[in-house]
Amino acid sequence: MLKEDFVIQSNIRRMLIRTNIDYSRMDFGTVKGVVYLRGIFQISRLYTDGDEEKKKDYTVKTLYTFEKKIRSLPGVTDVIFQFLNWRKEKGQWVPIEMKEKEEDQDEEKKTASNL
Amino acid sequence: MEKEVQIHPNYADLQNQFALFLMFEGEMERAENHFLKALRLNPRYREALLNLGFLYGEMRRWKEAEEIFLSEVKQHPKDGFVHHLLGILYLQTGRKRDAVARIDKAIQYHPYYRDYYKKKGVWRGGEVHLYQEAERALKKIHLNYPTAQFHNFVGLYLAKKGKSSQAVRELKKAASLEPDEFIFHTNLGTVYYYQGNYSKAIQEFKRALGMNPFYGIGYANLSYVYGSMRRTQEALRYMKKAVQINPHYADLHYNLALLYSDRKRYDDAVFELKKALRINPNYLLARINLGVLYEDQKRWKEARREYRKILQVTPDDEHIRKRLERIS
Repeated sequence: MLKEDFVIQSNIRRMLIRTNIDYSRMDFGTVKGVVYLRGIFQISRLYTDGDEEKKKDYTVKTLYTFEKKIRSLPGVTDVIFQFLNWRKEKGQWVPIEMKEKEEDQDEEKKTASNL
Repeated sequence: MEKEVQIHPNYADLQNQFALFLMFEGEMERAENHFLKALRLNPRYREALLNLGFLYGEMRRWKEAEEIFLSEVKQHPKDGFVHHLLGILYLQTGRKRDAVARIDKAIQYHPYYRDYYKKKGVWRGGEVHLYQEAERALKKIHLNYPTAQFHNFVGLYLAKKGKSSQAVRELKKAASLEPDEFIFHTNLGTVYYYQGNYSKAIQEFKRALGMNPFYGIGYANLSYVYGSMRRTQEALRYMKKAVQINPHYADLHYNLALLYSDRKRYDDAVFELKKALRINPNYLLARINLGVLYEDQKRWKEARREYRKILQVTPDDEHIRKRLERIS
């Protein structure tokens, strides 16, 4: 199978502008067919009148669809999610608590400044 | 949109867009409030300031409109567009002599207005002639700019909602009202790209670049379209141009590195990834690609060094851990 990383990268970009995912706080990259997604995953223009459960359900649905779409792109062999606010555990998407996320970010900043 | 403004009251862009909607709904006072809010949030927000000028014109608050446009002329004395706006404003207030002087300056500073006024029969034999019919026509065009922006925002909003055909219609309206505004063509190109209509996307992106050849992101946009078409030779050409114009954008160097790496030009790819990392040392994705490239070239020591650096930041990355173990 062809593994043209730039072609995959362009197709992910095109896919993202077609969705309601706010990709302004997200990074994505491709290495020999393996797609990496990092940063904060959130939906733009999602109004649920403060109903957090509804918001969570919708985000989880979007995450599953998004993952499926990326995996179906020609040349993609694997997808690695490194979101700060969502992680996949035993096949289920679970939110990472705000506090935990902030600690991670701080830790990351500290480590990155030592690189 | 009102809800969105309530949720994000500190987004100047949103305040400006909402004010435009209100203006076209005829809610002038509310529109004024929101333009002013946008300007409080970002005092250098030129579009919001010009829109406020148009609004004052619509409200027949000529003096305030004039003050805004004059302040812009002070900031950008050679900006033909603002002289053109002042010319139209003076025409509306019956100050014909001032109008002629401003139109003359608009023509002097921007070649577009020479053709524009020539077509309207106003620029003849190197002079401005304001005959009655042209004057009437010019008075009508004063709202073209904010109207075009309005259609542009509606188009972008519809595109985000997945209604791409309607979005294209709105963006075309914007482009026809202000044919010289490259950003409308860029947005139109983006919606065509999103629709999968690559040939039209290329056409619009190229049109936008014809108007503003220094818009580096425009070349990157073209590169992505060619990427989706698997025409990587053209993609490489345009990404190089994008990098040349915006040498400080780490993301563009990263994308150029992918194109080189796909063509097995590993040294060039490494060079671009290192540049991306010099610009943004926290650009982990660039470091991952760099490690893998070193590994492919059997530069084990350098690959191990990059992988270790990555694992310091993301110790849970099993892919990188396995790669490191394999070459340790």
